[in-house]
Amino acid sequence: MTWGIFRQEWLSLRREGAMWLVVALVASFAGYGVYNGARWTAFQTRTLASMAQEQHARIDKLRSSIRQFTGRGPDPRSAATVGDSTGAPYAVLPPAPLASFSIGQSDLYPYYFKLGLKSRSTITESDEIENPVNLLSGRFDLAFAIIYLLPLVILALTYNLVSGEKENGTLAVALSQAVALSALIARKVLFRALVLLLLVAAVSLAAIALPGVDLTRAGILPRLLLWTAVVLAYGSFWFVLAAGVNALGKSSATNALLLSGIWLVLVLLIPSSINLAAESLYPVPSRVEMIQAMREASIQANQKGSMLLARYWEDHPDLASPTGGAEGDASFTTYAVQMEVDRLTQPVFDHFEAQIASQEAVVNRFRFLSPAILAQKALNDISGTGVDRYRGFRASFDRFLTAWQDFFFRRISERALISSQELDSLPKFSYPDEPSGAILGRVLPAFAGLLIPVVAIGLYANRRLRNYPVAG
Amino acid sequence: MILEIAKKEARETFRDGRFRILAAVVIALLAVSLGLGWKRYSDVSRQIEAGRKATRQNWLTQGEKNPHSAAHYGVYAFMPRTPLSFVDDGVDPYTGVSVWLEAHKQNDFKYKPAEDSNTLARFGELTGAAVLQLLIPLLIILLSFTTFAGEREQGTLRQLLSLGIKREDLAAGKALGIAASLGMVLVPAALIGAGVLIFLGDPRVLPDTAARLVLLALFYLFYFAAILGTSLAVSAWSKSTRAALLTLLGFWIVNGLIAPRAFTDVARYLHPTPSAFDFAKMVAHDLENGINGDSSTAQRARELQQRLLKQYQVDRIDKLPVSYRGVSLQEGENHGDEVFDKRYSELWDDFERQNAVRRAGGIIAPLLPMRSLSMALAGTDFAQHRDFAVAAENYRRMFIRMINDDITKNAAGKDLYVRGDDLWQTVPEFQYVAPGVAAVLRANLGSIALLLLWTFAAVCAAWWSARRIEVL
Repeated sequence: MTWGIFRQEWLSLRREGAMWLVVALVASFAGYGVYNGARWTAFQTRTLASMAQEQHARIDKLRSSIRQFTGRGPDPRSAATVGDSTGAPYAVLPPAPLASFSIGQSDLYPYYFKLGLKSRSTITESDEIENPVNLLSGRFDLAFAIIYLLPLVILALTYNLVSGEKENGTLAVALSQAVALSALIARKVLFRALVLLLLVAAVSLAAIALPGVDLTRAGILPRLLLWTAVVLAYGSFWFVLAAGVNALGKSSATNALLLSGIWLVLVLLIPSSINLAAESLYPVPSRVEMIQAMREASIQANQKGSMLLARYWEDHPDLASPTGGAEGDASFTTYAVQMEVDRLTQPVFDHFEAQIASQEAVVNRFRFLSPAILAQKALNDISGTGVDRYRGFRASFDRFLTAWQDFFFRRISERALISSQELDSLPKFSYPDEPSGAILGRVLPAFAGLLIPVVAIGLYANRRLRNYPVAG
Repeated sequence: MILEIAKKEARETFRDGRFRILAAVVIALLAVSLGLGWKRYSDVSRQIEAGRKATRQNWLTQGEKNPHSAAHYGVYAFMPRTPLSFVDDGVDPYTGVSVWLEAHKQNDFKYKPAEDSNTLARFGELTGAAVLQLLIPLLIILLSFTTFAGEREQGTLRQLLSLGIKREDLAAGKALGIAASLGMVLVPAALIGAGVLIFLGDPRVLPDTAARLVLLALFYLFYFAAILGTSLAVSAWSKSTRAALLTLLGFWIVNGLIAPRAFTDVARYLHPTPSAFDFAKMVAHDLENGINGDSSTAQRARELQQRLLKQYQVDRIDKLPVSYRGVSLQEGENHGDEVFDKRYSELWDDFERQNAVRRAGGIIAPLLPMRSLSMALAGTDFAQHRDFAVAAENYRRMFIRMINDDITKNAAGKDLYVRGDDLWQTVPEFQYVAPGVAAVLRANLGSIALLLLWTFAAVCAAWWSARRIEVL
């Protein structure tokens, strides 16, 4: 019987031409989205490549100037120069395996920093160049097509699933066969869902054939599976919702109105209202105050200058006691002042972080109110463009920066020089891809949040359909 | 007759419970977004005011130092908030709040508020502009899709026309009726907005702000008229209310969701901008080699020395009556200014070109010219951000020149040249006057033309299709 209904559906959809339109629409949205995402990922990859090239050339040059150093002019082996500029590497966050599927937050957060001996806040204020109106407009990536447009296509395909047949008078005919209405609807929904969701899955899978996607990269297959599963769960939600609304027995026009209203509430209004609530509960102050705090801190630290240096030696008794006299100390004071500025301003930075984290906690608590939020967070997580990966990168960079600066401050205080062999053994940064298990752990609740309503609405629709007024 | 129809239409709408709920939701959203927008405006303005005072104070009380150190110490410029940003904050979240003005270098604006927001911000902030540009059009569509298609389906269209009512009168009456119902929602909102500005706003900019507000309201009316005209035309064309609703929802989605992104992609494709890394590299290259790429820093220094020796008829630099250091610092500034002018103009012109491409998308989506106009009148578009950035940069060049002139004049032959508060005080404070409403209008003639074109075309389409409406 299932195949009979499928065949019937296939024939009628094909005759209407609607199916082809939908297929073409979905394929072009998804294809265009992936193309866009891939362009952005390629831009980032290109930038990182030219950065790596610059770094390589710079360090090669440093190595040869160390080798050729004759003792005249500034010493290229000076730890202060090597650590701050000539030998300073970039700490980069390369795009994750599925980055081209969802641009997420990746156009807003920095994906590289240049190491150095300056204050933390100076080093971490790197920004990609982008027209602000482009940022305001948002990106058309696969995740956008799935979260915003796929539900609309699904609803357009299913809003009159039962009501349309009833209005045409074909429902009574269909039910004159030995088939329960709920079974008929279930198969109609299933058929459309299969066609549509398989199509999206196929376009996504085809996308990995794009240049720049490395299929051998670890973790890409589990991520693809997870991605497909989230898309299926999200799509199921909208299919079942349409079936549920159909089961209410209203006219096609009312169904269309109701479903588009629900879409508006779930996809646009609830997310922006939660955002508004989070921002009002935990307002992030303007950075204007932070800038001022940094200025005040540096004034204070500069006044304390030599005292800070004395404290530094007290804190680091293991270091060789300075023997170079007053002049050496004076240059080192700069670093001591800088560290003091970082120390003094840390609470201000922490306050910003804490407010944003609290906002994110509000979002996490209320994300189950909207399948769109669940899907967005999950898809960003899977493609490695979500907040968590950037936060992880940032935390790991902060630790590395401390290690880097400690290493060089120690060298500077010891008046040690950096040899050309030592250039290869300088601290190195790498941020490993998250293990797929960690992503799964974060994404799992989203599945529950998507599938529990599917089951609940499905059961409700099933019960309603038993009393559905087939005629009249 | 037209009035009778309008009254009947408005009365019916008001009796409809769905309209009342919908209207209440829209009013509530508008009130909340405007209220929070105002709070944000006044909070940030206060912080910026405090920042402005503090940075001036820091400058004045920086104590005795070499003037060039003072030039490095510099000042911060904070982009002021415009009063109407509480309606439309435009690109404010995506442009940095402040720029550091220091010697040698045109810095970028740092700290985009969007970087300090939670994940949901990317779903779109619930601002007054979002309600006006997206939700009110949806309300208009829901109010009007049944206008003709519904009367026809119920068979009442035939009765109406048999009474001798002219088709265009019917259309005009219906349009007026819908407009009246909408007016009940919008007029109070506009009055509250105006009241807030008059009683709480900054009285110094009130005339300009009032003119901007009136124009803003006017353009939004044109926008709503365009949407209403389109809806009526579609309702007259469509065979059923269902078809009318689906067509109009499709239009709404293209207008609000797809077009802004798709045209942004086209704009980015046609006018690509460099990565921040490449941009910095180009600037550094030009600073070293000159904008024609045919000189070097050392060469320019030699030429300057030759010129000075000749000008002052001396044979050695240390015999110059002026400070060579001061002259060469200013010479470096002049060279830098040329480079910054060239590179930043190129970049910002590309942004403007991208914006022009996006504006051309207004042929398909009236939202695009409306959004540009809304941001422009609220003072939060890219052009006005650029205006501020240029003003801040000019101020930087002016005060650095004052400092260098002082060094040139007074530091000749001194190993240690130190100045105090008296010099700092001669530097005037940075004052910024935003462009007036007339300049804003002139800069946005294209958007105005497109919006008016839409309104005109939509009203004509409605009138034309109402005249030709089929009874059955």
